[in-house]
Amino acid sequence: MTHLKGEELVDIAEGTRPESSAPHLDGCESCRAQLRELRAMMSAAQEVDVPEPSPLFWDHLSSRVHEAVAAEGAQRPAWVTTWRNGPAKAGHYLLRGVLGSVCVVALAALLIAVALKPRTPSPIPATPPATAVADAPAIELLRDIASDEDVSLTLVASLTDHVDLDTVREAGLATRGSAEDAVTHMSESELRELGRLLKEELARPGA
Amino acid sequence: MTSMAWTLPGSWPPANAAAPAVAQSMAGADDRPLDELDEPALVAACLAQRAGAFELVVERHRRAVYQLCYRFVGNHEDASDLSQDVFLRAYRGLRRFRSQSTLATWLYRIGVNVCLNRVSAKTTLGMLTEPIEERQFIDVRAESPSQLMLKDERAARVRAAIAQLPRKQRATLILRTYHEMSHQEIADVLGSTVGAVKANFFHALRNLKKLLAGDEIS
Repeated sequence: MTHLKGEELVDIAEGTRPESSAPHLDGCESCRAQLRELRAMMSAAQEVDVPEPSPLFWDHLSSRVHEAVAAEGAQRPAWVTTWRNGPAKAGHYLLRGVLGSVCVVALAALLIAVALKPRTPSPIPATPPATAVADAPAIELLRDIASDEDVSLTLVASLTDHVDLDTVREAGLATRGSAEDAVTHMSESELRELGRLLKEELARPGA
Repeated sequence: MTSMAWTLPGSWPPANAAAPAVAQSMAGADDRPLDELDEPALVAACLAQRAGAFELVVERHRRAVYQLCYRFVGNHEDASDLSQDVFLRAYRGLRRFRSQSTLATWLYRIGVNVCLNRVSAKTTLGMLTEPIEERQFIDVRAESPSQLMLKDERAARVRAAIAQLPRKQRATLILRTYHEMSHQEIADVLGSTVGAVKANFFHALRNLKKLLAGDEIS
């Protein structure tokens, strides 16, 4: 014999399903007893009132909510802050996001550039080409950054150790106008500013 | 400069200040009196920082929220604190309200979470012994003192038994018995299914019976 499930008994006890829809009840004292218990407990629970507080309480509660919301004033929800300050403030956040992204891309490009720089000088140094002279400050700066004992730099360097600049260019990763191309053709002052920005970013907690 | 009237103490109770331009655009420029707004329009008015809008939400739902909290904690002080917390959380999260449920159901969901967090952090039995004299404004005119005492004792026993139910069973019993929510609405509040809600209700009632008989619950 299959007894009624709890859900079925609840439906019958609540009256959403007629007892006649469950003929099993006629021949099962156990299920009938459970149904009686359910109804008794529903009735017992319904008798428990919530004491009505003082009529003054409701205004008091509203005041408390108001004070709590007012205290939030200094720490308003983001949706309030954003809309209160209007599009100019929203634009400011957007600009910060874009600048952050640019910094990340620039950092990645710089790491690649550091890793791809030839580690051993040319065995027969010819007369240095004009571009080499122009790159001198950049090399100094990159050495400065790479000298930090940063495991991520070491990892990138080891992963790209066998890759030379030509391979990268052939792969289309250093085309004119790319971040890598831009970094390797920066002026001294631009490189120093980039270095300062990168150090600032790396010094931030969690960077 | 725009202002958020319901964060400024000086503007309470609701003032009839004009809504700011941004607010008007967010509210769809609905300038009907607040008490004529339907629920979605009232929520939009809140989001648009219209003066008095959130106060009206509190006013409309404070009794139900307080009663829900009282059912969980069994005393006025904690119920009052929890009610305040529910509305504060509602204020913070109002932007996430999507009108897929009623505002009442959404507030109940917040209330259940707040209450369950609180009751699991405190010993509930200790909170169910509010002295009878502190229970205010019960209409006792039709009952004799002895009847009243018996009823109070019985209610205290039932309340204590409910407080010992497992969390979901307790929440289901409270929402179903005292707030007359449908099984579907309870499922929405608890993030459950109708079948699970009915099963929880069944087990809650069975366990209530065992607790009142002094048995261990399953």
